[in-house]
Amino acid sequence: MLKKLLKHELKATSRYITPIFLILFLFTILNKIILGLDIFKGMFKGALKIIPGIAITGYVLSLIAIVVVTFVILVVRFYKNLTSEEGYLMFTLPVKSNQLVNSKLLIAMFWTVLSILAVILSLFLLFMNEFDPSLFFGSIREIWEGIPQASRGNAVLLAVEIIVTVILTLINSILQIYVSIAIGQLFNGHKLIGSFGAYIGINLVLQILFTIAVAVTGVVFHSFNDIRDITTLFFPILIVVFLVINGIYYGLTNYLLTNKLNLE
Amino acid sequence: MNTILECNSLTKRFSNVTALSNVSFTLERGRIIGLLGPNGSGKTTLIKLMNGLLVPDAGTLAIDGKKPGPETKRIVSYLPDKTYLPEWMRISDTIEFYQDFYEDFDANTAMDMLKRLQLDPSRRLKALSKGTKEKVQLILVMSRKADLYCLDEPIGGVDPAARDYILNTIITNYNENAAVLISTHLIADIERVLDDVIFIKEGQITLQSSVDDIRMKEGKSIDTLFREVFKC
Repeated sequence: MLKKLLKHELKATSRYITPIFLILFLFTILNKIILGLDIFKGMFKGALKIIPGIAITGYVLSLIAIVVVTFVILVVRFYKNLTSEEGYLMFTLPVKSNQLVNSKLLIAMFWTVLSILAVILSLFLLFMNEFDPSLFFGSIREIWEGIPQASRGNAVLLAVEIIVTVILTLINSILQIYVSIAIGQLFNGHKLIGSFGAYIGINLVLQILFTIAVAVTGVVFHSFNDIRDITTLFFPILIVVFLVINGIYYGLTNYLLTNKLNLE
Repeated sequence: MNTILECNSLTKRFSNVTALSNVSFTLERGRIIGLLGPNGSGKTTLIKLMNGLLVPDAGTLAIDGKKPGPETKRIVSYLPDKTYLPEWMRISDTIEFYQDFYEDFDANTAMDMLKRLQLDPSRRLKALSKGTKEKVQLILVMSRKADLYCLDEPIGGVDPAARDYILNTIITNYNENAAVLISTHLIADIERVLDDVIFIKEGQITLQSSVDDIRMKEGKSIDTLFREVFKC
């Protein structure tokens, strides 16, 4: 059933986001051509200067649009599909409510990653004139060979830890929105304000906890002096903290949507 | 076993208001049951509990012997008293959606009914009137071969001609293995299709009886009896 949920979630979200990907692609090509023409100089003089001006403005706007639309999909899709009238459809499907949350989370992550890749690829296309793969992989090899033999294991570990932390951070920021909406929907007639309030409240609590944690553990982190401490202490602690917070967000979201669902 | 639904001492409170208090009853397969009561009597709360949209504060509710969950949602076809389909969808999208999630959904039945009501499947829900959306919703819900149909105010928003069509659809589309629960306060329109009635008042069941019994014992129609019982 998760597969079917994912399919329909993808269908519902792609109709917003694919047009914007397309627009970004078109502006990238347009700017690439104009930048290319500039080599021949003198093409865009006087009033014609407006053409590259429009092209580059459109390009920047489409970059912004990708970020905004992806974010809106994360928030609005969850809010509208699960806590408005559409919730009557979704919560009476023969699925568990955690499957609904899973499908939303996975598709939100998918679009976030795809948006980031699209932006990187577009900038790459536009500003890199010649891309030499052998040079690229060559420099990666150089970096790798620059690392002393003894530290290589740690370097790999560090890379893995960074990737895991990035993924957990992404999940964390999405789940914090979901749990805020799940709390906000409890407030009859003030669901949106309730959700914002919950989000701000959670941030406050986290800040207080973080301040306390820093004060308590300051001594520990102070003694960091080489890469081994970062890979064996700092990142493992960070990862565990994220896992715990994400677990709380996920559990609370599911509990509230299963037992305290409050559709209008 | 002919019982499809069983409630025992079901109670649901909303902050300080008791919406349902100690409600117990059973529904049998093969019957069309009217859940009748004035506005705010607890009809919708009861139906939401059956569909797992609310969790009871006390008491139990079992559908085919199971607590509301994915297993019961598979066999219950629910029509909320809201327009609940996503507005961006075309009618054909909603059919595909139902077909994907409900094994008992028959797309051909739905297409036939759409044709009968002259609804073009390529139209977007956004462009339909409220009454037309309600027709689409009812078509989807009745195109399932469910064990229990929960119809919350199915005829409230549609014109009298469509009402007749909808009621006929309900009678002809269900099988003897299924129970149909219809909640409404428009009794006169619906009386002719009902086998049983449940009267609900201020969160409590005040009467459960077959329509024939009421006609025999009281010598009056359900509509008349309702007006007497719920006199303001």
